[in-house]
Order: sequence, then structure tokens, then C-alpha cells
Amino acid sequence: MTQNEQSNPTVLVADDEIEFASTLVARLKLRNFPATMANSGKAALAAIEQDQPDVLILDLKMPDLDGLEVLASLKENYPDLAVIILTGHGSFEAGRQGMELGAYDYIMKPVDLNLLLVKIEDAYQSRTA
Amino acid sequence: MNILPGFIHKIVPYAFKSSSNLGHKQRSYGQLRLILFSVMIAIAMAPVIITAGLGYYNYKDLLQKEERGQMESRLDGSIKSIEAMVNSLTSVVLFVARNDRYNELTTDNNLRQLFVRIKRQYDFFADLGVIDHDGKQQSYWGPYDLQDADYSQEQWFNEVIAKGVYISHVYTGYRQVPHFAIAVSNLDPNTRKIWVLRATIDAITLQKFVNTIKTNASDDLFLVDDEGYLQTSSEHYGQVLSQLNSGIVPGFQMGLSHAGENILYATGRITNTPWTLVLVEKRYIHHQDWTTFRARLLFIIISCLFLNLLIVYGLVTMLTRLIKKADEMQMTMLKEAEHTDRLVSIGRLAAGVGHEINNPLAIINQKNGLVVDLLLISPDFEHKETIFGCLREVDKSVERCKTITHRLLGFARRSDVHSERLQVNKIVEEVLQFLENSMMHSRIRVELQLQDDLPLIVSDHLQLQQIFLNIINNGIDAIGKEGTVSIMTHVAAGEVQVVIQDDGHGIDQEILPHIFEPFFTTKETGKGTGLGLSITYGLIKKLDGDITVRSQIGKGTAFTITLPIQGEENDTK
Repeated sequence: MTQNEQSNPTVLVADDEIEFASTLVARLKLRNFPATMANSGKAALAAIEQDQPDVLILDLKMPDLDGLEVLASLKENYPDLAVIILTGHGSFEAGRQGMELGAYDYIMKPVDLNLLLVKIEDAYQSRTA
Repeated sequence: MNILPGFIHKIVPYAFKSSSNLGHKQRSYGQLRLILFSVMIAIAMAPVIITAGLGYYNYKDLLQKEERGQMESRLDGSIKSIEAMVNSLTSVVLFVARNDRYNELTTDNNLRQLFVRIKRQYDFFADLGVIDHDGKQQSYWGPYDLQDADYSQEQWFNEVIAKGVYISHVYTGYRQVPHFAIAVSNLDPNTRKIWVLRATIDAITLQKFVNTIKTNASDDLFLVDDEGYLQTSSEHYGQVLSQLNSGIVPGFQMGLSHAGENILYATGRITNTPWTLVLVEKRYIHHQDWTTFRARLLFIIISCLFLNLLIVYGLVTMLTRLIKKADEMQMTMLKEAEHTDRLVSIGRLAAGVGHEINNPLAIINQKNGLVVDLLLISPDFEHKETIFGCLREVDKSVERCKTITHRLLGFARRSDVHSERLQVNKIVEEVLQFLENSMMHSRIRVELQLQDDLPLIVSDHLQLQQIFLNIINNGIDAIGKEGTVSIMTHVAAGEVQVVIQDDGHGIDQEILPHIFEPFFTTKETGKGTGLGLSITYGLIKKLDGDITVRSQIGKGTAFTITLPIQGEENDTK
């Protein structure tokens, strides 16, 4: 929390596609965004509890808890967490539900990293504002 | 849909069943037509033929009865006339043979004088004879020497003694001239003995009389005796005293003449004589009536048949054409439904493929990005620029794939249906504003025919924009440079129709049915995804609308988008 003013928001990437998640984390880190990853819904919840990230990049389709279930549980415990849904599978209906459950935005994979960074900033700003 | 009861089903020929079966694949219209035609003609003609047949036989029967009646009455009249003549002759003989004249007449002179007197009145008397009760001729006056002839053994003599009057057959006798005899018996009051007066009469008398009562020249009227010898000459059956050899039997009969003509004949006994009168007529005295009737009947039947043929032919042709049309419409509808079905399933498949490809694509994208990121912070090395170039190309390809997968998923950020009341014309204008620059650049003119009082429709603003944009873009692409895009809006059958027409190169009829299929494109590789029209089609279907296309090579293409005025969501309001 102390480095909020002078540095970028911390990001948690929750995606069961390890190759995708790890690469995204690596690229975020290269751009000075402190990023970690979780490869399942439960792992994501645990990581949030432990690391308290500013922004969560959430896949919808995951093995144990899917993205919408994670969102539902976050809405109660971490209402301030900014969530961006980033999915390759998402049905339109799932996207709409995600937005209703408090997600800031909904992006289809594949995504241009620069665009994602803009969204991360925007999401983060909207929560801290 | 079998409406025939079981037993009828068994007897109806297969051809008819197959023809009457709705939507039968191999329905033979020729056969159906033939069956319909025959059945209808049969139904139409049966009453006519039955009525005509009844009329024919009834009229024939009536005419025959009439003919018979007339003939019988004529025969009756003739018989009565002959009987009257015979009676009058008999009376003359009876008058001569008065009770008390036996003695007077047995004197030769007296008989002669009487004969002369009678002859003066009735010149057909040939001779007179008086015979006593023993059968011996006591007195005779005539051309032969018959004095004292003995008739006691003759059959006629016994008959006249028994009956009082006897009329003989016609016979030739000594003179070889046909004649007949009338004999009467009487009781002499003096001797109390029976005596007989016999008169011979020329048969020519009979002939003349029969000739006089014969009214119709074409008829034949003659007398015949019990043995079948002609008593008077017949026109067709021979001369007097010849044997009648045709099979004429008593009563009213029909038969054939010697000449082979149809004849009717009737016979009747002349009382107290051995004669039978035969009246022969040519059949069909009402022949004229009959032929007229028959001709009229035939004319009516043929006219009916002709008229029926004409009407039934017309009806059947119309019916078959209607059935054929209905079948064709059904087939078209089936084909359309199949087509829509295929589009939907292809769409579903495409969406599935999109989903599956999206994730690996995202990994490629990220890996590529990471490599680029790392290269950017790495010191220069050999081939670095080449590697950069390659990675940029990978990135471009990923972008292309992304465009496809995103479109496949039909997933814009707001692709749900937000129903609101919309002015279609306004949306068209918005889209045109958006395209203004690119159209100006391509020197494409826009012609608008927008119905001013177009009703508001309940639909989704953004999706309609997307739809019009896609179709108009399609037109712009088809035109290339210089041309006209016409947009018309109007209400048709309670729905709003938007017609977007271009005068571009048109679409080949062969590929026209495929243009709404995903990945179907005529643009060169890399320039079109082949998804524009497919997505447009999906969007329109989602809005409960419809899209149809007409096109002609070289002339252009017209898309007609039909949108319901009342969207489903707002139906309850």
C-alpha cells in the first residue's frame, strides 16, 4: 500500500492457461507492474487474501471455481478490488453477468498489452477515485 | 393424413394414392391430371347417359305400344268389315233359302230365275244349288253340270246340316277360277226335312273387298285359311291359293320380311269362316319421330360431353396447376428452412471454432509480445532486426486471426439486445454520416427514398447500426469506384422494410445462396473475413427480422431487410 503513489498498481492474473498467465505476468513485470498469477479460482481467492492486489485480471473458465463464482465471492469480501474479465471463451451472457457482479470491464482474448495496460490504469483509477 | 376408410383404401389404385398423397415426392402430375379428368368426366356424364338411356328406352317402348295399339285397332276394324261383308253375303243366301222355298226352288226354272235376279244385283254369284237332306243336288243353276251330284259324304255338307251356315275355303273347282261357297240349311215345313242352299261366289269379290279396306298402300292385308293357303293375294307372300311359307303365327308379332325389312304383323280370326286375316306393316310407323328423337338425344349427349370435356379440362388444368404450385412452394419452403438450418449450424460451429482458437491465439500473442519486449531491452546482436520483422508479422497475423475469432463469436462489447423505440430512418442517416468520407473518396452517390411517416420500431440501436453498416459497406465494396447506393425504407405487410441497393458488379446466381455462410467471401485473401454478411444475418435473425437478396451480374445487388415493428420484449406494453 505504501508504494501506491509512486508506482503502478499490483496485478493478479487468474487464468488456468499457465503459459498465457505466466507470459502476461512476465510482460507486466517488464513494464513495472508488480504482477503475480493464480491458476485456478481457489488459488486466486487465496492469492487475493494473501497479496491484496489492486487489479485482478480474471478468466471466466477455470477448473474449480469459475470466474463468475470468484466475482461473486469478491463482491462481498473485496468490493474495492478492480476486476477486468479477460477471456477467450466468454459467452455474451457470461460477460453481462460479470459486469453485473461488479467487473470493471470485459475484454476478449487475445488482447494487445498496451490496451490492457490502459484498462488496468482506468480500472485502478475508478476504484481509488 | 389418411382419410380413406380401410376397404376403400384397398381398392383404390396405387397410382391414385400416390397422386393424392400431399407432398408425395414422385407425384406425377400427368397421372393425377388423368385420374382427376376421368373421374370428373365419369361423374359428370353418368347422369346424362343414364337419363338419356332411360328416355331412349321409354320412348321406344311408348312408340312400340302406340304402334301395336294402332295396328290392333286397324286389324279389329278390318276383321269387322270382312265379317260384315261375309254376313251380308250370308244374309243374301239365307234370304234366298227361306223355309218354305224348297219346292219352289227345286223347279229348275225358278232357281234359274232367282239366280238371274240375284246375279243382276250381285254379279259375283257363280252358281246356286239346292241339296236335299240326303246330300243329293236336287236343283242347280250354274256353268257346270252338277245336277244330281251327291254331297252326302262331303264334310261341308255335314257341317252345314249341323250348324246351319257354312262358308268354305277358297278353291278353284272345275273352272279353275278361285271361288268359295256359302251354304245354308233350312227345315222344309212341309216335309219336315232339312235342305241346303249352296251358293258359289267368285273369290275376286273377297280380294276386291280386302283391297278396299286396306288403307295404307305399304301395308299387306290378306286372308289365309287354317291350312296355310292364301285366300286372297298378298303383296309380299304370294298369290291366292299359294301356300303361305313364312312363319306367321297367330297374335301380334315382330319379324323380318322376305326383303329383310323389320315388320310387324297381327292376325285375327274371321268368325264363322275358316279364314284368318293377316295384317302386315313395316315396323316403326313413327319412324320419323323416332329418328328425330334419336338424333336430338345424340346431339344433346354429344353437346353435354363436349361441354363437360371443356369445363373439366379447364378445372383439372387449374387444379393440377394449383397443386403443383403448392408443392413447389412447399419444396421451396423446405429448402429455405434447410438453408436457414444449415446457416445456423455453420454459425454455431464457427462460434465453437472461434472459442477454441482464441486461447492458443492469446498465448501466441503474449509469447510474441514477450519476445518483442525482451528484444527491446536486449543489446543489439546479429539478425535482431530480421527477428523483429518476423515478430511484427506474427503480430499482424495474430491480429487478423483475432478479427476473425472475435467476429465468429459475434461478440462486440455490447451485443445484447437493448430494445428501445427507434426511428429507422435516423439510424440509416447516422450510418451514412459515418461512411460519408469513404464514399466521397470512392465517388459513390447515395440516393435516399425514406418514408417520412415510418412507424417507430422496437429494436436495438447499435445492432441496427451494425447491420446497415455491414450491408452498405458491402455495397460500397461491390461498386468499387463511382456508383450509386440507393436506400429505401417503407412499410410492407405490417413490417418495416429497408432496401439497400447498389449498382455494383452483382453476385453470381450460383453463389447467391451461399453469401450468408460464414467465411464465404469473393474478396481476395486477407481483404475480407467472409463474416460480414454472416454476422449481419445472425444479427437480423436475433432481432426477429429477415434479410433477402436479389442480384444480377453487371446490374447490382439489392438487400431487403425486414424488421418487425413491435419487438418481442415490448409486446406486453
